[in-house]
Amino acid sequence: MAAFIVRMGPVLMLWLAVCVSGSWAVDRGNFKTCDQSTFCKRQRALKPGQSPYRALLETLELTNTKLTLQLINDNNKVRLLLELYRLQGNMTRVKINELKPLKPRFEVPDVLINDPPTEPLSLLSQDENGMVLSLGADSQRLIVSAKPFRLDIMEGREVLLSLNSRGLLAFEHLRIRKDTSLYQIKTKVNSMWENIKWVFSSLADPEGAEKKEETDAASEQTEGEEATKEDEKVEDGMWEETFKSHTDSKPNGPTSISLDFSLPGVEHVYGIPEHADTLKLKTTDGGEPYRLYNLDVFQYELFNPMALYGAIPVMLSHSPQRTMGLFWLNAAETWVDISSNTAGKTVFGQMLDYVQGSSETPQTDVRWISESGIIDVFIMLGPTPTDVFAQYASLTGTQAFPPLAALAYHQCRWNYNDQEDVAAVDQGFDQHDIPYDFIWLDIEHADGKRYFTWDPHKFPQPKEMLQGLEDKRRKMVAIVDPHIKVDNSYKIHSEIRSRGFYIKNKDGGDYEGWCWPGNSGYPDFTNPEMRAWWASMFAYDQYEGSRENLYTWNDMNEPSVFNGPEVTMHKDAVHGNWEHRDLHNIYGLYVQMATAEGLIQRSGGVERPFVLTRAFFAGSQRYGAVWTGDNAAEWDHLKITIPMCLSLGLVGVSFCGADVGGFFKSPSPELLVRWYQTGAYQPFFRAHAHLDTPRREPWLFGPENTALIREAVRQRYALLPYWYQLFYHAHRTGQPVMRALWVEYPQDTATFSMDDQFLLGRDLLVHPVTEEGARGVTAYLPGNGEVWFDVHTFQKHNGGQNLYIPVTMSSIPVFQRGGSIIPRKVRVRRSSSCMEHDPYTLYVALSPKRFAQGELYIDDGHTFSYEKQKEFIYRRLAFANNTLSSRNLAPGSQFTTLSWIEKIVILGASKPSKVTLKMPDGKESQLEFDFDASMSVLTLRKPGVNAGVDWTVVLQ
Amino acid sequence: MHCPILIAVVIWSSCVDSQKIRGISLSYKRFYRERKSFLCIDGSKLIPFDQVNDDYCDCADGSDEPGTAACPDGRFYCTNLGYRPHYIPSSRVNDAICDCCDASDEYNSHTACQNTCRNLGQRERAEVKSQMRALDQGLRLKQQLIEEGVLTWRDKQAQLRDLQRVLDDLQTQLDDLRKEDARRKKEVDALRELEIGALETEENSHRSHIMNESPVSIFYELDSNRDGRLSAKEVRAKLTDIQDGERVLSEDEAVIRGRVPGRLVKGEPVLKAAVSAAEKAAAELKKVEDAYETVYMEIRDLREKLATDYGPEREFLFLYNQCFQLKVHEYFYELCPFNQVTQTSASGAEVSLGKWGSWAGSPQHRYSQMKYENGEPCWQGPTRNTVVTLTCGTETALRSVKEPGKCQYVAEFQTPVACRPALRQQGVHSEL
Repeated sequence: MAAFIVRMGPVLMLWLAVCVSGSWAVDRGNFKTCDQSTFCKRQRALKPGQSPYRALLETLELTNTKLTLQLINDNNKVRLLLELYRLQGNMTRVKINELKPLKPRFEVPDVLINDPPTEPLSLLSQDENGMVLSLGADSQRLIVSAKPFRLDIMEGREVLLSLNSRGLLAFEHLRIRKDTSLYQIKTKVNSMWENIKWVFSSLADPEGAEKKEETDAASEQTEGEEATKEDEKVEDGMWEETFKSHTDSKPNGPTSISLDFSLPGVEHVYGIPEHADTLKLKTTDGGEPYRLYNLDVFQYELFNPMALYGAIPVMLSHSPQRTMGLFWLNAAETWVDISSNTAGKTVFGQMLDYVQGSSETPQTDVRWISESGIIDVFIMLGPTPTDVFAQYASLTGTQAFPPLAALAYHQCRWNYNDQEDVAAVDQGFDQHDIPYDFIWLDIEHADGKRYFTWDPHKFPQPKEMLQGLEDKRRKMVAIVDPHIKVDNSYKIHSEIRSRGFYIKNKDGGDYEGWCWPGNSGYPDFTNPEMRAWWASMFAYDQYEGSRENLYTWNDMNEPSVFNGPEVTMHKDAVHGNWEHRDLHNIYGLYVQMATAEGLIQRSGGVERPFVLTRAFFAGSQRYGAVWTGDNAAEWDHLKITIPMCLSLGLVGVSFCGADVGGFFKSPSPELLVRWYQTGAYQPFFRAHAHLDTPRREPWLFGPENTALIREAVRQRYALLPYWYQLFYHAHRTGQPVMRALWVEYPQDTATFSMDDQFLLGRDLLVHPVTEEGARGVTAYLPGNGEVWFDVHTFQKHNGGQNLYIPVTMSSIPVFQRGGSIIPRKVRVRRSSSCMEHDPYTLYVALSPKRFAQGELYIDDGHTFSYEKQKEFIYRRLAFANNTLSSRNLAPGSQFTTLSWIEKIVILGASKPSKVTLKMPDGKESQLEFDFDASMSVLTLRKPGVNAGVDWTVVLQ
Repeated sequence: MHCPILIAVVIWSSCVDSQKIRGISLSYKRFYRERKSFLCIDGSKLIPFDQVNDDYCDCADGSDEPGTAACPDGRFYCTNLGYRPHYIPSSRVNDAICDCCDASDEYNSHTACQNTCRNLGQRERAEVKSQMRALDQGLRLKQQLIEEGVLTWRDKQAQLRDLQRVLDDLQTQLDDLRKEDARRKKEVDALRELEIGALETEENSHRSHIMNESPVSIFYELDSNRDGRLSAKEVRAKLTDIQDGERVLSEDEAVIRGRVPGRLVKGEPVLKAAVSAAEKAAAELKKVEDAYETVYMEIRDLREKLATDYGPEREFLFLYNQCFQLKVHEYFYELCPFNQVTQTSASGAEVSLGKWGSWAGSPQHRYSQMKYENGEPCWQGPTRNTVVTLTCGTETALRSVKEPGKCQYVAEFQTPVACRPALRQQGVHSEL
């Protein structure tokens, strides 16, 4: 498109040049391997063995809330300070920092929702080799071994987890560069200062003698450090590092940290998104470690550990006995190595064999390496998956409760060209009777990529356009990226510049890089004042042309810098006191945080925000939705959406989705249909397409494909009450919406590596068709003794089996668990808002014991009133003893709904002679019913009761 | 006293009736006659009549709920008195969005819909009226353009005939010239052969000398009168100083000896003249051949253009050789029908958006769309192409150009010749 090229000017050409060279796959050469990231190379060169660290037991301090203990590295005499906390909810926090760093090291703020409440620790025994502490009630012990230093957490006789058991604790202390004159002066001044201090303290203190000893020890240590530091060799890349044409100045020198964890009995580890890889993490022996470094990866490759747009440093381990989690709170570039003893026994593994008299115990060893900051790790001890989710949620918060409409279908494209285009697409959905809730505008909507503005030719009347959508009870999302066009006539830029809110380069000027608008500045979102100002820009009187039904999309917030190292920001860029290096991975979180805050504030705190982000970090779940970035219209990309979203779900991010149809390239109609069918059953359901691809609105592929897509979208809309309820749960408890099977069947080893199917909540199992030309799929129905009902045919299948399901183009294999009750709204309308007052149909799937249970959650769908005024309905639906009842689960709440119970479908039922509806006031009425003997389906006609009241239906 | 009661009953019953039959057209009323029971229209189920429009879907075909949103694929009939009646999906009943202009779809929602049918009807009638006026005018213009087209066609045919005639003349000339050319060439060849034959019989001492002379220059030396032929006289004249044994050259000898090159050939103009004549003939031939080629190409082009499909009445012929421009923001578009579409940016860079391909309308209205293909290729994509939709209007102009998908352009081109009498029928149908 000539228009595009001309407008993009030199930036695009530059970018294109980069892209073209990579053709249709990621250009791996643009991104570092561990070997090219010098700290990773240095750390990885360190092999398992005896740790040089020793615990100085005499420095132990134990208070009610924490234990502190000094560690010394016997090689260089540098001391570290270990802080250990027992946290409420069966968690242990281990912090390790330098005892006396030259200057403070970065500790990640704003991720923990509060200072985690602690529980007391008690010392059980101690000798010169170590000590044993009690970790609360569960007969859990913490064993601190002094030399070499290691920590073991035990329950009964079993070791749950060990730290530094492979001796890979490595802490590159801050140091002064030796080849500079500054260093010479500083060392002199330091030793003089020590002497002066000593003189003064001995004079001032009557107990000077004792103190002197200590000071002596300290100065000895200092001298010792000096001595050994002299011996430390300066390796390449410690004080400067060059990758491609970019040089990282590294003013602080080497600062990396590392620690190993051993997990006896564990063969399966999960999490640490974002990677385009399988659900079960692979061992990294002999290959690259998993990398966590938020990057804008052009045309990413599948099934490898390369870093992608987001990073959540949380790993889950699982065995039939126990589920645990490790949360490595560090926002710098991080690499994770995973090995397992199936590949070769470790020292600790052999020791364990000796203790337990077995050589068969599986074990997984994990090693975390970060470029800077401190070691701050939360050990979540489970023991069940549910417990781990709750533990992690207690630390970083839960999924934001989205407006109901955000769970519906989103129609996006780069780009909907102008207002007429938007109107035509909106009309197209109505003409083809396909529901949708949100239409999206990508970067071309803004005036020269100046976010918060509108192209005056293409979108001259944004408010009228938004009103037009509002008239159909629909909404819009417009993109607002964090790169700001350097243009003095652009208000946003000039204000950020004059307020000093831009990130600085290493020389103190405003950092500038190339992105969509050309030369751009990057606001420092880590600055709370900057975030407050940014949030205020979403006010209706600031963001011209905005209305209540306009929401926001934050893209490129890794941040993406087209001409930066690895397409991101230089690590020596400066955020106040900190280097970009220290906090790179949390930048994207702050962008979404500030934007979501803006959307809340513009409504005076009334309306729930909806913000989509591409970059994320631990805690991002609190601010909205994420998507898996720029995927491609390929079958493997469709398949990978399942493990990618499952992995995110395990670490708190439930609101996950992938571009339906694939962003790059053009899908075949079959792939497009299959993607709609899969996406309809994934949390964030949005179709998106690259500018270069042909149009692909659902009706452009002939009436048959249109009908197939319509049906998939309709299934999504009918199920919205269930989705909403799952998100309410995720918001309240931190349980994922889209779940790996092992989460609900933790004993069933067959499920542990499964990532071609998934559960929604507990009750729906989805095995989408993701193979080209598929004639059938084999779904695994878990649960011995359980039953599953095909939601389309109502056919009953036994659990604990692989079931072959023949499929046609219209098939979306979905099963409801026997024992569950799922509410649906089967009157699908053109948007979810239009369905607000519609009645419910209850699908009651009986267990073999003729029991079922479910919930019904209703609120206004878009405000915080559910939280602030307790305005919601939350009910328990239960079927037992041939009686189905609805009773209130939240007596303190109040909300009235116009919705009523339209129909009750009972699967696996037998034919009753009479069905009676009983109301609390004693009124009784007979319900008509219909019984399908071939499928054992009983349909109760029109109970008609309000969805918010108590009622009982008795089958006789 | 009976009267008010009767009226009340009538009103009441009509109310009930209207509720029962909400959402159906007159033609379907027969299915909904009030009885004890109702048979789903597909015959699948018999239900009590009070379950019709009771907001619960009983019939698989949705026929029991024409007036509610209860059935998934039902449809609701908007009577729209004063405007056009139509069906809407029943999912649009009571969804707080006004769909029927008579507001009948929102009988139980919080949205207060206004009955806008009268206004809509008036507006549409006015619109139809003006459209009809435009159509009439358009059709008149079209007729003129068709007539003009006929004239143009005749002109072009005449031009073609003229050209053909010219071509025929040229052909004749060509034939003559070719003959002449061939003859001249033959002569030259003959003369040369003569030389070569003489050469072969000459003594070796001469041969070496002769070998240095080219046959043409020898010929020229002999051919003193430059007529391209060698006569005995010419040869004899040149042979005066030849050391011949008898010192006498008979006519025969001259002919035979004339072949003898060497000093005999020097300055002889016979061959020279022959060559010159042959060259002249060749140049003449070339000139005529070029002319022939030009005319031939012109004819081919014209034939090609005349072979283009200009519509059943050649009504689009007048667009031939015309171009139409439109400025859209910073871009300047140009449509040259049956030729190409281009886009020129403010910086002056011209990009081809496609060359004339074919008529691309639906089989019923083939002439409603044009397709221009194989324009400038897109980065990582296909070549640019443009679909031009022709609409009826009194003027001929390019109305809009858009790019809904990357490098896929759509243009609207208005012209009277797109007006079809059938449009009048459609207009009449929508007139209320």
